[in-house]
Amino acid sequence: MSRALVALALLAAALLPLALESEGYAIHVLTLALLFAALGQAWNIVGGLANQMSLGHAAFFGIGAYAATILQIRFGLSPWLGLVVALALGGLAAALISLPTMRLRGHYFALATLACGEVMRVIANTAAPLTGGPAGISVPFGAEGVWMMRFEGGRPIYWLMLGALVVVTVVFEVIRRGALGYRLRAVRENIAAAEAIGVDTARVKLQAAVISGALTAALGVLYAQFNFFFDPDTVFGVASISVRIALMAIIGGIGTAAGPILGALIVIPLEEFANAALSDRAAGLSQLVYGAVLIAMVLVEPRGLMALRFSWTFRPRRASA
Amino acid sequence: MLSLAQAVLDGVMIGGVYAVISMGLTLVFGVMGIVNFAQAQFLMLGMFVAWFAWRFLGIDPLLGSFLAFGAIFALGWALQATLFRRVLAAPPVAQIFLTVGLIIVLENSALLLFGSEFRSVATPYQTASLRLGELFVNVPYLAAFLLSVVCGGLLWWFLDRSWFGRAMRATAQDPMAARLMGIDAARMHRLAFGLGVGLSAFGGAAILPYLTVYPTVGSQFSVLMFTVVVLGGLGSIAGAVVGGVAVGVIQSVSTLVFPIQLQNLVLFLLFIAVLALRPEGLMGGSR
Repeated sequence: MSRALVALALLAAALLPLALESEGYAIHVLTLALLFAALGQAWNIVGGLANQMSLGHAAFFGIGAYAATILQIRFGLSPWLGLVVALALGGLAAALISLPTMRLRGHYFALATLACGEVMRVIANTAAPLTGGPAGISVPFGAEGVWMMRFEGGRPIYWLMLGALVVVTVVFEVIRRGALGYRLRAVRENIAAAEAIGVDTARVKLQAAVISGALTAALGVLYAQFNFFFDPDTVFGVASISVRIALMAIIGGIGTAAGPILGALIVIPLEEFANAALSDRAAGLSQLVYGAVLIAMVLVEPRGLMALRFSWTFRPRRASA
Repeated sequence: MLSLAQAVLDGVMIGGVYAVISMGLTLVFGVMGIVNFAQAQFLMLGMFVAWFAWRFLGIDPLLGSFLAFGAIFALGWALQATLFRRVLAAPPVAQIFLTVGLIIVLENSALLLFGSEFRSVATPYQTASLRLGELFVNVPYLAAFLLSVVCGGLLWWFLDRSWFGRAMRATAQDPMAARLMGIDAARMHRLAFGLGVGLSAFGGAAILPYLTVYPTVGSQFSVLMFTVVVLGGLGSIAGAVVGGVAVGVIQSVSTLVFPIQLQNLVLFLLFIAVLALRPEGLMGGSR
């Protein structure tokens, strides 16, 4: 995409909420889509560039949401400072998780990260004095103001999420085009060859994990400020966060900057629509549709929608075993 | 000391069932190289089959387990023929997310069809226990354990002695060579997948007398099954037996030391530790 096109899209995205009702449902759905686009983009650094299929990103997301909210409740700390704390804690957690999981690949890496997310969920459920336990935790109500991230109407938080998406996307693009991106792709394509030409593969993977974890934790803070209430099973959930984050990138197109954005803009509104339309009639139907779409996507084009654009013109058929 | 002995005894019996439900997971991986994240959801389906067989046909869940095996075997066969066949040569991302999609579909299909309530069976032996010196043997545990031993024995005979078993192992080792020997590899894959999910369904039915079934019951067993197979080495049937008993004993003994909410935490940490230190499993070696 050309620069002008990107600038135009960004301008349209920034102006869009002015055309929508400020407390409306549409702006709520779009804000959520922007959040998940940003999350998918952060995941993309590890999942897309290094091809490490993390199923445990909820660990970082939940750490950010809990850390900032607890600090705000206990010490009245501004969420902006909570954001800084979350970046640090998310990066630290990612470094700690990387130590035992770094050598693992493919299925093993997915399994290990999945378990890491689950560990955090159990801890958050058990440490009730700090986290509120399974009953969940609420962001305290306070006076409106930018400093406490408390806004009137839905527009400011929309712009905040848009800003977050831009920041995460820029980070992703800088990494992808820079030396780290090339090293990550070398690790993805052939780790032995990467080692042989002098890439410190452990260090490269650690860097990617820490950046991705820190960004994901920061987005957890924004989620807390957007939703006001959450519990361990939501923010540390496998299906609600870990799989969903990865899904944005996979449906859109793994390893590309546009992929998670495209994925989130399709999946989140679809999910919300399906929930609104189907959940009265039969519990579980909307989720069933969601699962079926995922299966269909994986079978039709595992490289995501971004790849479909090219395959319309030329499509070599893969022989199935 | 006595409570420790009791915990170990309970752990061994529960672990026997864990071995059987995890054998399915390890078999699918061993033959096709696919990690089925939705394996525990087939266990859930097996529990439902056994529950309905008990409720409407009056069949005891221990007998119903064979019915559950048959029904879920057929489902697995069909899924391999339609869905999994297409991702055999695909990168791990496609395999992982196909099975993750299947979790969502299976759980929500069960929710739609059967509702979210908890269902349990009533059997005459439900609260019975035998005395073994100072120890008590819980009869439902014992029944499930014995059934698992029978099932494990049959599986061993099938894989080790029958022509189909040998053909399946040949396919696992080298699909191309197996094909050259006149083995229909695609058929072996269907058989392996049906057998794999059928075993988990069988185990699910066997534990129904002491548990309840509901659509998301599988998630309780997911990490547990993965811990079992990773402990024993992915793809190793004998490893699943050792891993199953080990996990059963660890789980049972850890309740003596830790509060019940942390029971799973012990399992998760063990799982991560094994993956980090010995991803090839405690038994070592390949397959």
